[in-house]
Amino acid sequence: MWDFILLVLRAAIPAGTPLLFGTLGEVTAERSGVLNLGVEGMMIVGAVTAFGVTQSTGNIWLGVAAAALVGGILALVHAFASITLRVNQVVSGLALTMLGLGLSGLVGKRYIGMPPRTRFAPLAVPGLSDLPIIGPLFFRYDPLVYLAIALVPVLWFILYKTRWGITLRSVGESPATADALGVNVFRVRYLAVFFGGLMAGVGGAYLSVVYTTAWIEGMTAGAGWIVIALTIFAMWDPVRALLGAYLFGGVRVLQYRLQPLGISPNLLNMLPFIFTILVLLVSAGEAMRKRIGAPEALMQPYMREER
Amino acid sequence: MLTKNNLWKAVMLLIILATACAPAATPTPAPVPVKEVTRVVEVTREVPVERKIKAGFIYVGPIGDYGWTHAHEQGRLYVEDKFPWLETVYAEAVPEADVERFLDRFIVEEKCDVVFTTSFGFMDGTVAAAQKYPDKIFFHCSGFKRTPNLGTYMADFYQLYYLNGLMAGALTKTGKIGYVAAHPIPEVVRHINAFTLGVREVNPKATVDVRWLFAWYDPAKAREAAEALIAAGADVLAFTEDSPTVLQVGQEYTQKGQPVYTFSHYSPMEKFGPDSCVSGQLVDWGIIYEDILAKVYLGLYTNKNLENVDYWWLIREGAAKLGGAFEHSINPKFEDALKAVKVTEPLLGELSVYDLVMKRIEQMKDPAMLFDPFTGPIKDQAGVERVKAGQRLSLGELTTIDWFVEGNVGTIPR
Repeated sequence: MWDFILLVLRAAIPAGTPLLFGTLGEVTAERSGVLNLGVEGMMIVGAVTAFGVTQSTGNIWLGVAAAALVGGILALVHAFASITLRVNQVVSGLALTMLGLGLSGLVGKRYIGMPPRTRFAPLAVPGLSDLPIIGPLFFRYDPLVYLAIALVPVLWFILYKTRWGITLRSVGESPATADALGVNVFRVRYLAVFFGGLMAGVGGAYLSVVYTTAWIEGMTAGAGWIVIALTIFAMWDPVRALLGAYLFGGVRVLQYRLQPLGISPNLLNMLPFIFTILVLLVSAGEAMRKRIGAPEALMQPYMREER
Repeated sequence: MLTKNNLWKAVMLLIILATACAPAATPTPAPVPVKEVTRVVEVTREVPVERKIKAGFIYVGPIGDYGWTHAHEQGRLYVEDKFPWLETVYAEAVPEADVERFLDRFIVEEKCDVVFTTSFGFMDGTVAAAQKYPDKIFFHCSGFKRTPNLGTYMADFYQLYYLNGLMAGALTKTGKIGYVAAHPIPEVVRHINAFTLGVREVNPKATVDVRWLFAWYDPAKAREAAEALIAAGADVLAFTEDSPTVLQVGQEYTQKGQPVYTFSHYSPMEKFGPDSCVSGQLVDWGIIYEDILAKVYLGLYTNKNLENVDYWWLIREGAAKLGGAFEHSINPKFEDALKAVKVTEPLLGELSVYDLVMKRIEQMKDPAMLFDPFTGPIKDQAGVERVKAGQRLSLGELTTIDWFVEGNVGTIPR
């Protein structure tokens, strides 16, 4: 039994890592008041970029960096539409997802069926990886898992303990007030959305060069949508995003381990969305919304001199 | 009486007649041009030099899935390259509920003469279109409904899965074999059963643990299911899913020093797991499309005579091929291991599993189909005898099979 739990945890962490990257990015973007439904699109373009660059350079880190950059550039398209042109954020985000899915298929044609040229060796943390139980559980992953974990406290610290963080949050809560205080609302939102794109790109890269090590059309298979759900589930908080991502990763992994007991994978598949709906139900009230940290100005385009 | 005026008219008429008859009076003998004319008429009727055929292909997945749709796309490219008179169009990732709209477009706008629909779920939509456009020709892959202008075709893998099973049974050390399965439909159940029959023929105590993905294509899910099976003790994996993920997982474990052997599915995937992939299943849709389109072109298949045209092509016809790569049917790395395991077959005596595989291919290639995996006695999971000794499952029984053979662990969700 203990072995079983350990094995599930061991598998849940890599399964949750692409979700964690995406969610950290989306949390940041939404904290600034911009909902970006284009996560799926940015992730898949990140996935194909990472695979392509890794194949041609033989260096995974270059692939991941390129994926981040391309994800960021795509996010800027959404930023331009929703911040500068003030179009509906839902429409612009959905358009980005469709664009990304189509674009990645087009670019990725040549990579279909290509075996990976290189892959990450698991990074065993010296000294710690040999500890019983804890060693294999926490200290024998690929480097990107550690990067994702390291980003969590950094982002938490920036959000809650620094001037940048309070600026970002104030823009998401009340852009007019922030503006009156001399904050450049547009710049903050652009940066936040760009960061969201970077993270989504890395999440996609994880799928294509670490998790499955192949380019397959449509390989994100809805991961971007789980990220959107997870952002709400995590109540816009990086630490809860970590827990949520591993929880959702664990649920995915459990689907096949519980099957012999007669538990339908479809039931487990629903869980992330049921959790999200529960959070949405709980947070329906105005007072509750404030308490769980939903950004007040989420989805509202900001226009100076308005009102 | 001829008046002056009438006389003039008569003279004119004579002159005109004379001029008109003049060319006919050439010295060329008359029978020759007549002969020539007849020959030309005959030629036009038999070989329509100017005739072109346009074929449309409707795919359920993206052509880049490296599985089912990718294989059909290879077939389309093959025939397009082969026949100068053929023009093709295709639509990929067509939702099953949407197929009628695409069929309308292919017939009305693209002016296709033949349309192929390549998913089981397209069946009813294709039947409706066949009735709506009775002068066009339709072919539906993997279905069972036919009309005078709608035929069916399928390249089935059950023989290949059986051969893979023989090898899996020889290679397993733990006696536990895993199967990552897509959807619980007869086709997948048939393949799992054939695989298990092969496993148990070589290794009567081994079991095959089945996990369902409920997806045709989901690399992340396939990885999670494969890892779950390995965690449960499996050291050989076969699968039905459209990505090479299971092979990659096998390769990772093998490299780490825990060998996990795998069987490639549908496309030549061996390169994704060169140390893990033993063999696999390959398809050649091209030769089926070639056969169908050539017969349409020659007028053998028309919009009136397809009611009984059902292609069920196997190893014998060359549509199903053993292997994880087109270069070899068994990965050379595993040849020695397979030659080392001996089994005793009632008719063939003692021989190695490698030789048994080769012998079985020969038997199944024989026009008389000397061997079939689904030959009794076969028991189901509960131990009830479903196929009596000496009997074979019929095509109808194979295409509707809904029970697991003895040796499978897990259930078929309903």
